[in-house]
Amino acid sequence: MSESLLSPPLTGPGPRRVPLPLITNPSEGPVKQSAKDFRSAEEVRWCPGCGDYAILAAVQGFLPELGLRRENIVFVSGIGCSSRFPYYMNTYGMHSIHGRAPAIATGLSVSRPDLSVWVITGDGDALSIGGNHLIHALRRNVNLKILLFNNRIYGLTKGQYSPTSEPGKITKSTPMGSLDTPFNPVSLAVGAGAGFVARTVDSDRKHLTSVLRAAAEYEGTALVEIYQNCNIFNDGAFEVLKNPATRDDHLLRLEQGQPLRYGSDGEHTIVRDAAGSLRPAAEAGATEGSDAEVIHDAHAADPALAFALSRLPENGGPTPIGVFRSVARPSYDRQVAEQLEQAVQASGPGDLDALLAGRDHWTV
Amino acid sequence: MTYVIGTNCVDVKDRTCIAECPVDCIYEGERMLYIHPDECVDCGACEPVCPVEAIYPADTLPTEWLWHLDAATAVTAGREDEPDAGPVDDHPDVLKLPARTGSA
Ligand code: SF4
Ligand code: SF4
Ligand code: SF4
Repeated sequence: MSESLLSPPLTGPGPRRVPLPLITNPSEGPVKQSAKDFRSAEEVRWCPGCGDYAILAAVQGFLPELGLRRENIVFVSGIGCSSRFPYYMNTYGMHSIHGRAPAIATGLSVSRPDLSVWVITGDGDALSIGGNHLIHALRRNVNLKILLFNNRIYGLTKGQYSPTSEPGKITKSTPMGSLDTPFNPVSLAVGAGAGFVARTVDSDRKHLTSVLRAAAEYEGTALVEIYQNCNIFNDGAFEVLKNPATRDDHLLRLEQGQPLRYGSDGEHTIVRDAAGSLRPAAEAGATEGSDAEVIHDAHAADPALAFALSRLPENGGPTPIGVFRSVARPSYDRQVAEQLEQAVQASGPGDLDALLAGRDHWTV
Repeated sequence: MTYVIGTNCVDVKDRTCIAECPVDCIYEGERMLYIHPDECVDCGACEPVCPVEAIYPADTLPTEWLWHLDAATAVTAGREDEPDAGPVDDHPDVLKLPARTGSA
């Protein structure tokens, strides 16, 4: 393999999207990867049975699809159980500062367009300590894929309530029950102007993989909330959505262009009430095929449908999973690159050394 | 990698492990249980609960049980597409094993 193939130079004055596919062997075609290629030699340390294992396996199983070299993929995490993730990936990675993974990943993504940048975070890391960083990454539409593992508890610190814990939850730090109204990460992301918002479940490998695929294809910030079981401190938090006996009546699988239906035979429908909220129809099948039936459109420019969907469980409806919103927006990375290019055109390439050495700007 | 159930499960099959598995990748045959090697996420939850120490990570599986990995692979093939389709057929080599009383 020639040297230039291994490290192609970045072209042009400013960052550009440089697709770096897998190295191709002229005689054999593209090099094939498997999940194994993305496993690091580190011993995986989460509690036995933790949902994080399932997410790790799904991500490692999915990445070969991207056809990217491992050295062009980066996982940046914050602090928490989920944030151990980068150790277990045979890619570049960084176990960073509490809540600050989106900030670090923003710098990386904007300055290194040849990288596929993923953020691994949890409900505490992303929504409490790092709440600000998350919403600003979302509004900017930085080219990041943010996987938010939501287990509704602080696991690493042994079981205090988190920003997504349900009201009344009794934990070590809320002995009489939590008084806080929880964040709904999907509502929050839609409200922050995110272009791509999805939700999936740790144990549903197929669904999780399909959502990862959609997120990876999106240019800009993709926020993926993953319901994750913490079997030690919050076991069964999503059991009703997983148990074959109950899941059909509590889970709504969003499909683009399809009516919002759930139940074992798709017999339950969703209607829009006078106030514009979505609710389950009073009678099974009542609106099936009628004009009142709500059709899913993740590409709608107006975020109203995505937001209403995110509130469905609060209105007595099922919990939607899948892609809530996916609308094209210019990515921050691309816009920064364009500005740099314009600046270079207008004023020449500049001299970094001169800038660093500086001049005295201040006269007193 | 994957976890593998060995001979100690045969005719014991108390199903304790099934309740622990977060991804429901343990399938039931007539005589023993089988872990789907591609669905297993290596979380290790099943191993400590087995009363007869039948479960091992594939890389520390006792040599005389290595064939159980191939047996499980064969028996569970395709089940990822129909996870709720009921019991699996035991592997022919498992059917040949002498009846066991459950003491490991
Ligand atoms: S404390 Fe909970 S989230 Fe953390 S590793 Fe253990 S099971 Fe997983
Ligand atoms: S290691 Fe975990 S995923 Fe694998 S069979 Fe055991 S409980 Fe299931
Ligand atoms: S716990 Fe052990 S003996 Fe019981 S079913 Fe599972 S593998 Fe077999």
